[in-house]
Amino acid sequence: MSLAIAGMGWVTPLGRSVDSVWEQLLHGHEASATTISEQFGDRDYSVFRVPESAMAGVAHPRLRRASAISRFAAAAGLDALHAAGINLDSQNAERTALIFAISNGGVIYTKRFYRDVVEAGAQSASPLLFPETVFNAPASHLAAILGITGATYTLVGDGAVGLLAIKMAEDLMANEALDHCLVVGTEEVDWLLCDAYRRWRLLRLQPPIEPFSEQHLGMILSEGAGAILLGREGPLIIECAHPGGYFTKRGEAEEILKRILGDLSQTEIDLVIASANGTFVDQAERRALKQAIPRTLVYTAKPSLGESAGAAGLWQVILGAQALRSAELPPVLHADPAVRLWLSLARTPVANARRAIVLSCGVNQQAAGLRLAVG
Amino acid sequence: MAQPSSPNGKKVSARVAIVAVGVVSPLGFGLAETLESLRKARDCVSSVRRFSVAQCRCKTAGQVPDDRLLASQGEAPHSRRLHRASHMMIQALKEVVTQQPQFKPELAVIGTTSGGMSYGESYYRSLRQAGHLRHAPTWIANYPAQKPVIDAQAVFGISAPCQVIANACASGTNAIGHAFECVRSGRYQRVLAGGYDALSEMVFVGFDSLQASTPEKCRPFDRHRTGMVLGEGAALLALENLDLAQQRGASILAEIVGYGISTDNFHITQPEPSGIGPRQAMERSLQDASVSAGEVDYINAHGTATVFNDAAEGKAVSGLFNSVPVSSTKSMMGHSLGAAGAIEAIVCLLAIQHQFLPPNINFSAPDDDLDLNIVVNEARPAVLRTALSNSFGFGGTNASILMRKSRA
Repeated sequence: MSLAIAGMGWVTPLGRSVDSVWEQLLHGHEASATTISEQFGDRDYSVFRVPESAMAGVAHPRLRRASAISRFAAAAGLDALHAAGINLDSQNAERTALIFAISNGGVIYTKRFYRDVVEAGAQSASPLLFPETVFNAPASHLAAILGITGATYTLVGDGAVGLLAIKMAEDLMANEALDHCLVVGTEEVDWLLCDAYRRWRLLRLQPPIEPFSEQHLGMILSEGAGAILLGREGPLIIECAHPGGYFTKRGEAEEILKRILGDLSQTEIDLVIASANGTFVDQAERRALKQAIPRTLVYTAKPSLGESAGAAGLWQVILGAQALRSAELPPVLHADPAVRLWLSLARTPVANARRAIVLSCGVNQQAAGLRLAVG
Repeated sequence: MAQPSSPNGKKVSARVAIVAVGVVSPLGFGLAETLESLRKARDCVSSVRRFSVAQCRCKTAGQVPDDRLLASQGEAPHSRRLHRASHMMIQALKEVVTQQPQFKPELAVIGTTSGGMSYGESYYRSLRQAGHLRHAPTWIANYPAQKPVIDAQAVFGISAPCQVIANACASGTNAIGHAFECVRSGRYQRVLAGGYDALSEMVFVGFDSLQASTPEKCRPFDRHRTGMVLGEGAALLALENLDLAQQRGASILAEIVGYGISTDNFHITQPEPSGIGPRQAMERSLQDASVSAGEVDYINAHGTATVFNDAAEGKAVSGLFNSVPVSSTKSMMGHSLGAAGAIEAIVCLLAIQHQFLPPNINFSAPDDDLDLNIVVNEARPAVLRTALSNSFGFGGTNASILMRKSRA
């Protein structure tokens, strides 16, 4: 069953709005890094943050106490509906499902809540903060804002969770009682996350992210949200969402990616939106791509936008949709030209491109993919 | 609801069988112990030992004993490093695999609320207090919510993609409901569904800060109820296209026949007082199954024993049903959050298989505002064909599943 992309919303460190972010990527822009520190931490980290200006005008009583992750999600979700020209009322809200993709969740409030517990004891725990630490808080805020009364799901996973959420949407939309499914991926950054990923040898302290490098020097975390409204008809379709699988050792990721690529490339593929982020993922993707579809143009936006985990899959789908729609790909930044892959190293026209694979390999054992096509 | 369609667009509506289940909870390890605890109306809530609760109002929880849980260490590689949640999932899946060694799911849909939260706590405390961070990579690697699902599958050579649903306290029921829809639609033949959650200090303190948990006994639907107690556990259900299960000679334990989901958007932690959200979820599950309210023989309520939740659920139940027996088995084992819906689905299955009504313990006096037929304090025999299980969570997310004795 194929699903159509009816509208998209994008909140990124390069700003908010699909057209504006895409234009900046085409011009080879990359987000500016911000340094974050922690009182008890022994080092600083670089992250790509969403500029405050991007969130102007995003206000609703439900968001008054909400964390950044909920506000990013609300902005992206509302933008996707606006782009589709859909105004939800009580009737079509019931025929619309909402699926959230999240990896680390509301880490800022979670840390603040637990900090109070550790520093001052359980009696100091805030009953206002606790509900915002729950994984489905962002989804419940957006459901309330939109008046969605039916199916609302929050999926948790790694960088592949965005594509798993689209797979879930495909399964839900098998039910004809639904007209639309709004899929939102969202994430916020915090020092604690950076420190955790650094201890896991997945983070580098300063940009750039060098994709597909042999050395996999690490990623830079970023934040924001991506939203895609899926419907039944439209010019761009998701032909097939592949649920992928999991790997128990990093060395096994390549095999799963090869299987995903093999299944999705049974028809001609014009380009791949990869998830290379400067970690072990890159080597797995490089080998899998080289073996499965060696003569296909590859792009990754993570050097420009950072690794946004729960939001990353949705961002990749937006990138694939934009590439097919505008018939060109932005340059992959900071890639070694010697990498033996056909990378889009400069702004590259893809005039007759009709199909794209979005490939997502997370750093926490999950991988998935999907195939986009011009309808 | 309209019929779903299969990948080739053909309208299908497959019957969905439960062919195996596995459970670990404060009630016991496995079906036999769980059944015995239910029949004997055991209060399996005890003093919290895992972390200090000196400053909390509530001091108790339903807990899975570590000595038994960790006795199976060695089944997984690096099992000493795994989170307790992984060990619970391994135990639950072991029981499933023992019953149905040939069950190879195409998808795993599992609910949780907090993943490996206690490892996150250890990491933060060590950082904050300049403690030893030698174990940090282990804590971090075992923190993600999908990890216990992957760990358990890996032990038994199962490689299904994982969809981990975090819909707060409704997660487990949502997971079973979504898995049911996947099989019914014909898009999948076999799906592993369930939920897990392990007790953690942060979540315990969180519910305490909301004054949702009680320093007293957990008394669902009682006039003197004062709140919930937390629990923990894991439960898994192997769902399969009934025709295929029969073809391969698998035992059909029961069928899932309906699923209802609703979102009430009232408040992030409190239910809409009229009970409209729970009512919609229950109504939708009945409509989904083409079953009338009069055909339901037992309701395993969400029944957290908080004043507002029980009032809203009670109104919804009494508004829809006429004197159907109701119990909240959380009174016996606490509220295991993401695992609750899955554990309670297995409670419904046991009730149907063994023809009894599981008890709602610690009940002393009916609430005059709730017109409910509570299964008071003791299990009792009954003729059961159809059971409904409810789960409602933060964010106004509500889910109900309907289970029926197989007529196969």
